[in-house]
Amino acid sequence: MRIFKGQSVSPGVAAGRVYQYKAFVRSVYETYVQPGEEQAALAAYLEAVRAVDAELVKIAGSFYSQDRDKAKIFEAHREILADDEMDGDIRRAILQDRQAADFAVDRVCTEYAALLGRVPDANIAARAADIRDVRNRLLRVLHGEKEHNLSQLPDHSVVVAHDLLPSDTATIDRGSVAAIVTEVGGATSHSAILARAFGIPAVLGVPDVTKALSDGEEVIVDALCGEVLAEPDGETVASRREKQAAYLAERQEDRRYLTLPAVTKDGTTVEIGLNIGSETGWPEDESFTFVGLFRTEFLYMERDTLPSEEEQTAAYRRVLERAKGRQVTLRTLDVGGDKTLPALPLPKEENPFLGSRALRLCLNYRDLFLTQLRAALRASVYGSLQIMFPMVGSLEDIRAGKAAVEEAKAQLAGKGVSFDPDIPIGIMVEIPSIAMLADEAAKECDFASAGTNDLCQYLFAADRMNPLTNEYYRTFSPAMFRILSAVFDAFRRANKPVSVCGEMAGNPEAALVLLGLGLRKFSMNASAIPAVKRALRGITLLEAETLASAVCAADTEAAVLECIRSVAAGRAERR
Amino acid sequence: MTTVQTIVKNASGLHARPASDFVVKAKAFQSAVTIRDADRPAGTAVNAKSIVRLLSLGIVKGTRVEIAADGPDEREAVDALVALIDSGFGEA
Repeated sequence: MRIFKGQSVSPGVAAGRVYQYKAFVRSVYETYVQPGEEQAALAAYLEAVRAVDAELVKIAGSFYSQDRDKAKIFEAHREILADDEMDGDIRRAILQDRQAADFAVDRVCTEYAALLGRVPDANIAARAADIRDVRNRLLRVLHGEKEHNLSQLPDHSVVVAHDLLPSDTATIDRGSVAAIVTEVGGATSHSAILARAFGIPAVLGVPDVTKALSDGEEVIVDALCGEVLAEPDGETVASRREKQAAYLAERQEDRRYLTLPAVTKDGTTVEIGLNIGSETGWPEDESFTFVGLFRTEFLYMERDTLPSEEEQTAAYRRVLERAKGRQVTLRTLDVGGDKTLPALPLPKEENPFLGSRALRLCLNYRDLFLTQLRAALRASVYGSLQIMFPMVGSLEDIRAGKAAVEEAKAQLAGKGVSFDPDIPIGIMVEIPSIAMLADEAAKECDFASAGTNDLCQYLFAADRMNPLTNEYYRTFSPAMFRILSAVFDAFRRANKPVSVCGEMAGNPEAALVLLGLGLRKFSMNASAIPAVKRALRGITLLEAETLASAVCAADTEAAVLECIRSVAAGRAERR
Repeated sequence: MTTVQTIVKNASGLHARPASDFVVKAKAFQSAVTIRDADRPAGTAVNAKSIVRLLSLGIVKGTRVEIAADGPDEREAVDALVALIDSGFGEA
């Protein structure tokens, strides 16, 4: 048996056969045909168009009964393929300029994609990706390569790839994919987010796995502990199968808790918040009471221009309307580090995570920041909105951020535009320095939310994206709980709200300790809500407080996990 | 050449399905058909039979557009396209 280790990004256990997947790599050179060969080049193009159209008809047809929205994507691709102007330009490039068919297709389609990418409306700009998709299909056919996508897989396929593109994952055959394994990518990659949304077990960041596994080979993917097992023996197959059954039964049980109130056994009410990126994909209204983290990055990504004030105002308004009066915490643009923007080329930095990212970057690009702040302020009249700055390290940072808000307010007031003048301003606690100054910070802002992913990374000086430092990134270390405890206490003393919106809030075990440390606001992804509610409903406040004291007095991560396990064991006995 | 102006009144403007419907209708005529954002003085006319060109105009609700057709069925083309826009594409 061979075991490969990676990062588990979407839980579950699955067995299946390896389906090696290589995305089409587009490579086109500037080539021309000899005089007299234009007609042959044109014929090649026309044949490719016919073949691509047939592919699209087939894919659209296969989705039509089960997923109309997906079918429509491919219908839209057919429209682009038949576009009068693009088609005319390609024909002219071939016949008049004697360009080779692939070169003509590549150049014309890329130009048109750029044209759409420049349209201020995000929905239209996003269609540029559709043109690029059609372009790649044409090139693939012209280069004589077979269609490869993940929309039609053999049953129980374990998709193994170097990396997956958004279009690969969006169209993946959900009925037949058993698990996903890739060489690159982490918990926050697009593939990971999609795998979690679809409930597909996934282990990412497995070095050289495409070389180590062969097509059709039987493997077990244990995405509960981040392992891929090749040539498993009978005993292993049986034990992992049991693990999978137990996991599924637990999830089934969890689901019953989604819409139940988050109340401890002895009646302490806890607020459960939702982390979101847009107004879509929200769970039932009864499952959460606030939106603790509205990530605004999505508005800026995968496009060639920055979103306008109007567009942002409209997007924020949609979220506020969807929230139906519940409080929404908008986090200002958090890019830099691992997140880059095509519309905003940034200088390369030696240490991007210690560099000009998030609030620092916004203060450097003041117009970009003021545009977002004005949009947030304008949207604030449509609901209960508060603004939160990411990557705050000092009181100076808080003051600079607040000064920018005041400037944005003055700009709007000057134009007679209405906004909420008392909009609460808060901070993310993710740099240890601001946690050390929590008392002072609490005096200068209205609320705080701990971002435990970055806090852990900065506290331990361990890059959370680097597989080599994974073991140094200790979420369950007593150091994490002690620093969080200090932050909670400081904000409680100042009588200001504090929440946690990082991964720890959505982890049922960590959540119990946080409850014991005094936290009453937990914000998380929708999928984490049931298990956290279930955990909170199964404990009394006294039990949680006893656990928290033991955790803070512990010396190692292992000791903390032991404390948590003994509480869980004790509760299991009394059931 | 026949030219008529009208105002787009459906909520989503000439995006998504309405844009597709518009192009399909335009393609039904022999005449060359163009569309232009008449609210922009410098707005150039684009081929109304091209979905990509049409989308690139980014026409939202309330925009005044100018439709021009040139060819044997230019009158019918313009009438049909204006009627389609005025119908609101079946949107509220």
